[in-house]
Amino acid sequence: MAIRIVTDSTADLPADLAQELNISVVPSNVVIDDVNYRDGVDLTPEEFYRRLTTGPRLPTTSQPSVGAFQAVYQGLLEQGHNIVSLHVSGKLSGTVNSATQAKAALGDPAIAVIDSNLASIALALVVVKAAQAARQADSYQEVAEQVQRDLGQTGVFFFVDTLEYLQKGGRIGKAQAFVGSLLHVKPILTLQEGEVHPLERQRNRERAIRRIVELTRERGPVQQLAVAYSTEPDWAADLSGRLSDLLPAEQIIISRFGPAIGTYVGPGALGLAYSAAG
Amino acid sequence: MEVLQGKDLAQALAAGFRCLERYRDTLNALNVYPVPDGDTGTNMLLTMSAGIAKVAPVEGGGVGAVAAGLADGAFWEARGNSGVILSQFFKGIAAGLAGQEVCAAADLTAALRAATAAAYRSVGNPVEGTMLTVIRCAAEALEREAEKSAAADCLAHWKTALDAAQVALDNTPNLLPRLKEAGVVDAGGMGIVAILGGAYAYLTGQDVEHLDLGWPATAGEINPAQPAAATIESDFLDASTEGEWGYCTQFLIQGAGLDLERVRADLAETAESLVIVGDDRVIRVHIHIGDPGAALSYGVALGELSQIKIDNMNRQSQDWAAGHQAAQQGRSVPPSGLALVAVAPGDGLAQLFRDSGCAAVVSGGQTMNPSVAQLVNAAAASGGREVILLPNNKNVAITAVQAAERENEAQQLYVIPTRTVAQGVAAALAFNAQQSAAANRQAMEAAVAAVVSIEVTRAVRATTLDGVAVAAGDYMGLVEGDLAVVRDTPEAALLSALEGVGLSEDHIVTLYRGADAAAETAAAVVRQIEEGTPGIQVDLVDGGQPHYPYFAAVE
Repeated sequence: MAIRIVTDSTADLPADLAQELNISVVPSNVVIDDVNYRDGVDLTPEEFYRRLTTGPRLPTTSQPSVGAFQAVYQGLLEQGHNIVSLHVSGKLSGTVNSATQAKAALGDPAIAVIDSNLASIALALVVVKAAQAARQADSYQEVAEQVQRDLGQTGVFFFVDTLEYLQKGGRIGKAQAFVGSLLHVKPILTLQEGEVHPLERQRNRERAIRRIVELTRERGPVQQLAVAYSTEPDWAADLSGRLSDLLPAEQIIISRFGPAIGTYVGPGALGLAYSAAG
Repeated sequence: MEVLQGKDLAQALAAGFRCLERYRDTLNALNVYPVPDGDTGTNMLLTMSAGIAKVAPVEGGGVGAVAAGLADGAFWEARGNSGVILSQFFKGIAAGLAGQEVCAAADLTAALRAATAAAYRSVGNPVEGTMLTVIRCAAEALEREAEKSAAADCLAHWKTALDAAQVALDNTPNLLPRLKEAGVVDAGGMGIVAILGGAYAYLTGQDVEHLDLGWPATAGEINPAQPAAATIESDFLDASTEGEWGYCTQFLIQGAGLDLERVRADLAETAESLVIVGDDRVIRVHIHIGDPGAALSYGVALGELSQIKIDNMNRQSQDWAAGHQAAQQGRSVPPSGLALVAVAPGDGLAQLFRDSGCAAVVSGGQTMNPSVAQLVNAAAASGGREVILLPNNKNVAITAVQAAERENEAQQLYVIPTRTVAQGVAAALAFNAQQSAAANRQAMEAAVAAVVSIEVTRAVRATTLDGVAVAAGDYMGLVEGDLAVVRDTPEAALLSALEGVGLSEDHIVTLYRGADAAAETAAAVVRQIEEGTPGIQVDLVDGGQPHYPYFAAVE
């Protein structure tokens, strides 16, 4: 018997990491032109971003079904595992509800369902740490407690090419104030209390990247770093290269915003997640 | 005359106002810098007119009440540097006469002393050779007079102040080289002399309309080489009235047995901002009213009308309404209660500021100086409990500071003293309503410090500036407000100024195209900048500002 970590596809966790750490990923649903695709299963990012930018209508997303969670939980429980299930902010998605309902439907077994108040690579960092902790922990409650501490140390900065996708998708939160500018600015955003929050506006990509690096350095020593892009891998490489003095390059997780997150950040987005040391 | 009664002072001030009005064009023409500028005469006149309107209802009271009314009205309508200094001058007078029934010679000395202190305090960096000097010299002359004899006559005292002011005015070119270069005296100082002179004329029974202060009463005689004066003035009047509806309506009624009080009371029913002065033969009406026709019909029933002047104030009102609407829709007015308000010349710039998060935008700038009341109204319309105000022009900054100093428990107003549109946009982009006012001010001031501002405008007349000869019609490139280059075309001036700043591929240049610059020409300039410095980012914005073909920001 062991402790296993479950998350959802909005964590944008690279598949090899998930496999290596025995993390189960429950896919969200992305609907394009009335066809439902399972995030990361039925739809590749290339195909998704192509259709996002050229399709007649914007895609929509929906949380994994209760049944999807039930199936994953049941499989792990049957193997005798206890579960820590970590998910995207409840203010951005109903995923945590599905997970909670699945747990209840199974008769309230040994599962800790946690609303991370985070999303994407920030969630991924906490998930990775939880999976590492699960190897040595005596109980799933111990892992859940560690997760709660880690959540407070983890943050994210990202910029989008346009706020249009966040706005039309209804996830813009307080960043509404940055909508609309005759000047083409790069809004730097973060997640605060589970919602998208505006930080500042920079006039071009170079300055936005520079600023994200500065903001990260201001947070002090880091334990983990992850970088994600939607359509421009070179930008992610550039950003991680500028952080190599904070963490060896091979330890910086490079990921891609998958279809569920991509629906809201759109093409030309770049993000960085960190967890502070100590 | 040993002491002045409240009524004497009220009538004297009204006469001073008429005299200022008489010399308004002369003052306007004394624009020493060859750039299109806010008109000193008009700014002072509008500032004082609001004060005079407040004097009328308390005319029968003591001198303290009269001076307090004058100061209060002028405070709100103050616009431009000269207007703000004048309003503070009045405030000092009011402080000096506070609670007094009558004004004796010693009171006049005390009042002018207080007024001098208030006027100097009103500007961050007092410059001698301006109206400040004229005010101070008048006060000092009274101090000297008081030392000589304790029991001076009030009227004699007034004459002493007037004479000293006149001497100080004539001396202003010796104190301020740019006045000497332009061959003029200080316009604001002349306004002070006009007010003191008009008042003295009334007190000694002279007719103000025929008073000769030794200056030509028309702009043309002072400065024939100022082609832009007429257009600036009309632009200014379009935009200069406070955030109100209707029409600014002025006319003169001439008749017999006119009842001034009656006219005031009648017009007060339908009009606002009344300035109605005169006697039983002539009444000058200056009101803001929804239907100017009704006012004229009223006037023509009493006597013969002349000098009719009507200006539409709705342009201001639209700006105000837009801000108000934004506030009501909740757009850009966040729950934290922090709002941003900017002053912008031109529709494109107003749109840019709204788009960047301003809850209200006041139309104004170099040639159109908004009043304190306009700024305060816009701040109120923004709906913020705390408001950050961006004046975006050096002529507006002081008005903004005065607006921030008003007492209002419901709303705190902060000024980021942006002196150019370029600085204002940088500050607006650094604004984040989710942060505290203090954090925003810090971020916005840092953003302002990181911008180099360039302005390109046409010289309205020939002069020598900082040793550089400028011919009328030349295009001047100003860097951080100082003349940097003079060229034949606005584009050449812009490119040359940019070159002086020194561009690198790391820079971002934002170009704000003015109303006088063609879109294709501006696009061509953008290409030239890009070709000159490969890799540089150049953003072009259709600013629509008057008089300045280009503003540019380098950051």
